[in-house]
Amino acid sequence: MAAVAPVVSLHEQHPDDLWNKICIAFPVIANEPLMQEYLEEQVLNVLELICQHQLSTFIEDYVVDKIQHITMQKIVPDFWSKFCKRENEMQGFESFRDAVYSVYNSLISFCPVFERLEKLRNISGIHRVVNGENTLLGTFKVIIRSSLLSQLPLNHPKITEDFYRISFKVFCNSDNYVGDQDDSPEDMVHCSGCEQEIGQCQCQSIILVFHEVNQKLIELDLLERLAGEVITSLIHLRIENHVEESCKGSFDTSHISTLEKWLDNVVMGWLRRIFNGSSENVKSEKKTEEAIKKFKQKLAHFLYETYTRTRIEQLFNIIIEYPDSQPAVEDLRICLQKTDLRPYLTQKLQRALETRLLHPGVNTPDILTAYVAAIRALRQLDSSGVLLETVTQPVRQYLRWRDDTVRCVVSSLTEEGPSELADELVRGEALQLDEGVPSDEDTENWEAWNPDPVDADPSKTSKSRRTSDIISMLVNVYGSKELFVNEYRTLLADRLLSQFSYNTEKEIRYLELLKLRFGESQLHYCEVMLKDVYDSKRINAHLDSDPNFNLDKQQFPATAMILSAQFWPPFKEETLELPSFVKEHLQTYTKAFETLKGNRTLCWKPHLGSVTLEIELKDRKLNLTVSPIHATIIWHFQSKNQWTVEELSQIMHVPSTVLRRKIAFWQSQGLLREISTDTFLLVEENPSRSKCPVPAEMVCEDEESESAMASAHDQREEELQVFWSYIVGMLTNLDSMPLERIHQMLKMFASQGPTAVECSLQELRHFLDRKVREHKLLFSGGFYRLPKP
Amino acid sequence: MAQNINPHYTAPSAPSKTNEENQNISKDNHAVSKRLQKELMVLMMNPDQSVSAFPEGENLFKWVGTITGAAGTVYEGLTYKLSLEFPHSYPYSAPVVRFTTPCYHPNVDHAGNICLDILKEKWSALYDVRTLLLSIQSLLGEPNNESPLNPHAASLWPNQVEYKRQLRAEYEKHQKSQ
Repeated sequence: MAAVAPVVSLHEQHPDDLWNKICIAFPVIANEPLMQEYLEEQVLNVLELICQHQLSTFIEDYVVDKIQHITMQKIVPDFWSKFCKRENEMQGFESFRDAVYSVYNSLISFCPVFERLEKLRNISGIHRVVNGENTLLGTFKVIIRSSLLSQLPLNHPKITEDFYRISFKVFCNSDNYVGDQDDSPEDMVHCSGCEQEIGQCQCQSIILVFHEVNQKLIELDLLERLAGEVITSLIHLRIENHVEESCKGSFDTSHISTLEKWLDNVVMGWLRRIFNGSSENVKSEKKTEEAIKKFKQKLAHFLYETYTRTRIEQLFNIIIEYPDSQPAVEDLRICLQKTDLRPYLTQKLQRALETRLLHPGVNTPDILTAYVAAIRALRQLDSSGVLLETVTQPVRQYLRWRDDTVRCVVSSLTEEGPSELADELVRGEALQLDEGVPSDEDTENWEAWNPDPVDADPSKTSKSRRTSDIISMLVNVYGSKELFVNEYRTLLADRLLSQFSYNTEKEIRYLELLKLRFGESQLHYCEVMLKDVYDSKRINAHLDSDPNFNLDKQQFPATAMILSAQFWPPFKEETLELPSFVKEHLQTYTKAFETLKGNRTLCWKPHLGSVTLEIELKDRKLNLTVSPIHATIIWHFQSKNQWTVEELSQIMHVPSTVLRRKIAFWQSQGLLREISTDTFLLVEENPSRSKCPVPAEMVCEDEESESAMASAHDQREEELQVFWSYIVGMLTNLDSMPLERIHQMLKMFASQGPTAVECSLQELRHFLDRKVREHKLLFSGGFYRLPKP
Repeated sequence: MAQNINPHYTAPSAPSKTNEENQNISKDNHAVSKRLQKELMVLMMNPDQSVSAFPEGENLFKWVGTITGAAGTVYEGLTYKLSLEFPHSYPYSAPVVRFTTPCYHPNVDHAGNICLDILKEKWSALYDVRTLLLSIQSLLGEPNNESPLNPHAASLWPNQVEYKRQLRAEYEKHQKSQ
């Protein structure tokens, strides 16, 4: 102590004497506890004495220094030592409580010292600001805070978290009690708040302790610093859980308002209690009110963000369930305005689409359904269509790559029964394609005009995006009507030829609907096709009724479907040698037609059509409608009951592989039996079958109901062959050309006229590369040339 | 000669306004383009590859032609390039055809000009690019020595062996210079 002995000159009293007196007034200096037995008067004397000696500042500094020392050395380590071991939540709860109590107690114990120092200040008339605080108590709080935080151990949030988690749980639980009382009694063995048995429920005491601790922390000004982060993270966790729970798998209700209410009642209620102490009725200070308000804003934003994120995670499912999920979409739309999660949504949804939709395992119709749902849902989400355009870009790209997309779209357009696309078609709007004609925006409603969002593609007009027509969007996948119209033509041809019914009313209806969309000129071919069918019916009736043609005297009645070759899609070329009596009949028919129609004739497609057969066997009779090839096969067995595939193939001009497949049908009917490889025998009597009656009339479904039309691939090959002639022509004359120039030339000179075909640069590259591989072209330095002969 | 007259121009309404005339021309241009397009298609679809032609660039009225000498003639195996320029009055007037590959031939001069009756007064709208090229191809093997543009070649023609030697030399010379 000698080192700090005052150097001020003292009169009247010995320095030691004075020092002792000071020590009595401030026993802290001598490391002794504060004694109350000294009378206030005595203490006052000492204080005056200090004042007289002008030692006030020095003593004050010294005492504060001492207290700070004690805080650093004892109180704070004590406090943190409570934080080091923790076995369970409850223990953590208790440790935290003890720690706060002990710090608070030491504060209390130092209070008299500060009172005395304050008095000293009053006596000596000193006003100072120490550590940024006017009062000494404030100074002490700063000291405690700073020393506490300077010794912050690593695992401190854990115990803080324990404390708040337990109390929060209890709190939520007590809150829930008010709401629902109908919990089943089995669950009630343990209190769901404190997880103790009901009998020993500690909820009340926990709440009590909780409030006390909070109050003490507030008094110490430590609440924010020590627990703020933990509280926030706890609340966040709680919000996340709650949001996840409340909107798990249910897209048909809106959650925003209930979530807001929940935040207001439960979460904010808890916060208010933390800040306001035990009872809610205590009139909160303005400052805490403001803090709570700020907190609420933060939490509300967090709530929206969490909710938006959750919904974005579920967006794919939401889209699939659209329009049942409309409320969820609406929620998301509102939330998107409050949060900045648009890019997140784009990215997430795109990835979800890619992983769940755009892989070979998904059927094209399903992709289309999802695409249609996405169009609708995203339209609601963002009426400008920008979101839709960006998000579904990969879908469109993928669909373009799928072979059967067009077919799926067209078939679902004209499908019977409820189909979204068919409904869309009936709604009937003119097709709107991205032809990039910059039309004037609606000038009538200019006040409601909004600019496009920043992520919009500036090269497109916003009007083109705002169209809500789904069929237009689907057609735009390919960007050309022609492809769709061609596919429709092929499908129509298939349907007309496979049904062989002359009833075209339904088809005409669809055609009229499609014409509204695609325009008259595009569908002219299809119109002719339907007219062909109609005319065929008439011609058949006419020929049959005219006795001059002798058609009624033939062995069997025959009707023909007369097609104008120009307007129908190309047929698959198949050969079939019909039985001679059938051929004769058809010739008679042809002659009759020629007489009727002047300079026109018929060219028969023997492999198309259907034959109604009556087969008489020893033990049974069969009535069947089969394809001509099936009929021809079984007809041959009429003259000879055993044939090899080879023989049949020669006589019918049909490849043996095809024959084998067709014979399988008769095998399944029990009419033919394979007695050795590729040799078939007619089964005249079938003992096992004769017992069960054979259905009198059976219509044979062709096993795989093949298309009668040439496949798109074959057609394409033929078209490319045309291009090849042009390519040879241009390279012969112009020597060598780069890919782009060839493409340009083809576009200019080969893609004109009525049968215009398109060929993308990429397709052309593939085609030319193939020709290079076949040594029909040379490629060097970016130029293609013909090889020297 | 009747088919060489464009019916549009011989229409009785003689004093027509200028913009009407312009309209006529543009309409004609369209018709000519269509005709040329069609001729190109016929040419492209023809399996005979000894004569060929294709538009040089974006301009449909300027083509490059290729003729390979017919088998059995001294020109066998030699390939000649030509330029074809179609007037807007095509096919009522003949295209201007020249060899761009130097051609040693009695009826072809050094600039590539060809002396052929159907390119001049005997032209008919019934001819097309293909028949024209075939005519030039046959001209190679059967020159008209009565009115030579290249007297040297005309005088050498009777001696086919020497002619062939000279022809090949000229051809090689050009090939090398390329």
